[in-house]
Amino acid sequence: MEFKLPLGVVSNTDVSHLMRELAALDEFFIALKARKAGTSVAPPRLTRLLDQISKENKLNLLQTSHRKSLSNQLAKLEKSAPLLHISFAAEPSARFLEQILAWLRENVHSFCLLQVGLQPSIAAGCVLRTPNQVFDMSLRVHLEKEKAFLLELIRGAVSER
Amino acid sequence: MSSGGIAIIVGLIVSITGLFLWLLWRPYRKPKPAAGAKTAPPVTRSTLLERAQEDVDHIFNDEFREELRNRGRLHFEKVIGENAMFLQQDLRETTTQVNEYMRTEITRTLQQEFKKYQESISDAKQLALSSIEKTVATIEQQRHFLETQLQAQAETQKARLLEHFESEMASIVNHYVLRAIGNQIDLSDQLEYILAELENNKKAIIEDVKSGI
Repeated sequence: MEFKLPLGVVSNTDVSHLMRELAALDEFFIALKARKAGTSVAPPRLTRLLDQISKENKLNLLQTSHRKSLSNQLAKLEKSAPLLHISFAAEPSARFLEQILAWLRENVHSFCLLQVGLQPSIAAGCVLRTPNQVFDMSLRVHLEKEKAFLLELIRGAVSER
Repeated sequence: MSSGGIAIIVGLIVSITGLFLWLLWRPYRKPKPAAGAKTAPPVTRSTLLERAQEDVDHIFNDEFREELRNRGRLHFEKVIGENAMFLQQDLRETTTQVNEYMRTEITRTLQQEFKKYQESISDAKQLALSSIEKTVATIEQQRHFLETQLQAQAETQKARLLEHFESEMASIVNHYVLRAIGNQIDLSDQLEYILAELENNKKAIIEDVKSGI
């Protein structure tokens, strides 16, 4: 079955969090086996992200094999998933970021991870950095493309005076 | 010497000569025998000479000599005074002539020098005028050259500024937009634009991501 990565997992930091959470869950189950009879058990609370990824991949985290499988997948992701760096002029909302990520996973790679940066000088648009290239999709580049039109506007304004 | 002085000297000489001749003639004159007197003994030549000598001594006594000396001194003083006056007059005339001559010579020399000086000044003035004219012409040329150069530089600078403005126009407008409405731009409004841009660069992104894996 193909592994599904929810849109909530945005960056490699999220992957690392999930892996630490799984490790904590494993340790809990190991401690559960070693506990004395009659002692109280306090299971660790699962985060929304771990719950979501386990549901989407139909994994039962109570089973060691499933946890192992998920852990392997996450380790594999951490090592090999394409990491793209994207910068905006302001802090993007989660909803906005999900839409960008959805497009990337749909059109570029299904396991794309994003590292979000802030660059106020962009003004509008974004700058995407792939492993070898930088795609400047900011307003400045857009204006650069429309320079002829801008010049025409300025000349028109000057000649009217 | 004046004619009065000469006349006095001549008079003195004539009177001394007359006195001398009278003294010489007196021993030869026959004396008139006095009434009732005896005939005097014959007079010899030696007696006459002795008597003449006595008479000379009698006439040219010390008083007479002193008188003559005084007269001679006075005359000498007068002659000296007159000569001094003449000499003074001559000296004055000579001085006047020398002064006149000096004045004339100095005036002539000064006029010559002034003339030379004026000529030198005129030459220097001409030279200075010529030099000033050349300098003015050179300055005019330099001014014209500088004006041309400045105009060319101004045109170049203007063109450079325009070129710079045109090349940096996108950044300028971007900066202006950022300053003007930077805080009011909502990322949600840009989603459509960003997705469209991603779509435009889709192929390149995919290729780069695949090459990076």
